Amino acid sequence: MPPQLIKVRPTKIELIKLRRRFSLASRIQKIVKDRLSVLMMEFLQIAREAVEARRKLLDDFAAAYQGLSMAAGYHGYIALEKELISEEGDRTIATGLRNIAGTKVPALELEEAGKTIKSYSLVDTSARVDEAAQLFQRCLEDIVVLAELQSSLETLGREINRTKRISNALQYLIIPGLKMTIKYLYMKFEEREREEKSRLKRVKVLLEQK
Amino acid sequence: MNRSDATTGNLPEARLLEDYLKEELRVLNAHLPCGQRPLADLLKEQYPGVLCRDSNTYLFRKKELTYLAGLVNPGEEADLLLPILIEMKSESGEGVVLCRGQAEAGVISKILGMAVTVERNRITLYRPQLSLVRKLLRTTTQYLFAPG
Repeated sequence: MPPQLIKVRPTKIELIKLRRRFSLASRIQKIVKDRLSVLMMEFLQIAREAVEARRKLLDDFAAAYQGLSMAAGYHGYIALEKELISEEGDRTIATGLRNIAGTKVPALELEEAGKTIKSYSLVDTSARVDEAAQLFQRCLEDIVVLAELQSSLETLGREINRTKRISNALQYLIIPGLKMTIKYLYMKFEEREREEKSRLKRVKVLLEQK
Repeated sequence: MNRSDATTGNLPEARLLEDYLKEELRVLNAHLPCGQRPLADLLKEQYPGVLCRDSNTYLFRKKELTYLAGLVNPGEEADLLLPILIEMKSESGEGVVLCRGQAEAGVISKILGMAVTVERNRITLYRPQLSLVRKLLRTTTQYLFAPG
């Protein structure tokens, strides 16, 4: 869509208003561009981290299930299930908001990370169960990290789309429209001045003839 | 919409644009904290954070605070104010770290592995350096957009 001329009265006041609007739009456009570049930089960084986190999570899950299989093989599946199903441990995730260049993204942190909660009987189980528990604890931490990165990616992506549209609208539609209208007004004023000069000349000639 | 609106340029869209643009400027830096807090105080809290201008609480990661505590010189924990503010310059792709003392300079020079110069309470960083700083200090740094 090409930029359009704004319909205004060709007066000095309108010119002043348009110039103010142009200055505001230019300032905003510069700031929106800054913000867009920052958001893109953060988005790419978080995307790389999310890929890495996902790979780590899959690796850790593979190791954890292997550990669980070993424990199940040692104790027997039914005995192990009986031991693990008896009690449950509570985990707390502290949630908050982080801000990346004006965009609110969630911040998640697993409390007591690195500490394996052992809610099963230590007497009736072996070190294999402990090992499996530790590996799954690592998986839980990875899940929290990945959840934060994934939701941040989605939020940033939406914000980048929105900011890009605003930047494009300012750059290709609003600012050129304002420039065109300001130029049109200057031309109108020059034309008016020329008409005035020629009118005055005619009046002068008429007066001289009298 | 009457005829005078159409001819004067006071179209609803024009007014909407102006209001929107002013609103963008107003909320641009609303995420910034009301004040910076020293690292020493934040290390003592269970949920370290600062209050932002938009009344939200911005939380810091404890891991980052511990990392920063390891980077600062002993006794400078009270001098390092968080979050560290980074002002962006789009033309050159540079970022300018606003600092009030040498504590920030010490931290950044250790992260980058090179000496940085402080000119008029500002440290200029280039884009790759900025990426590295942001990667390591994700929650303890914030962007600032200066209008004009």
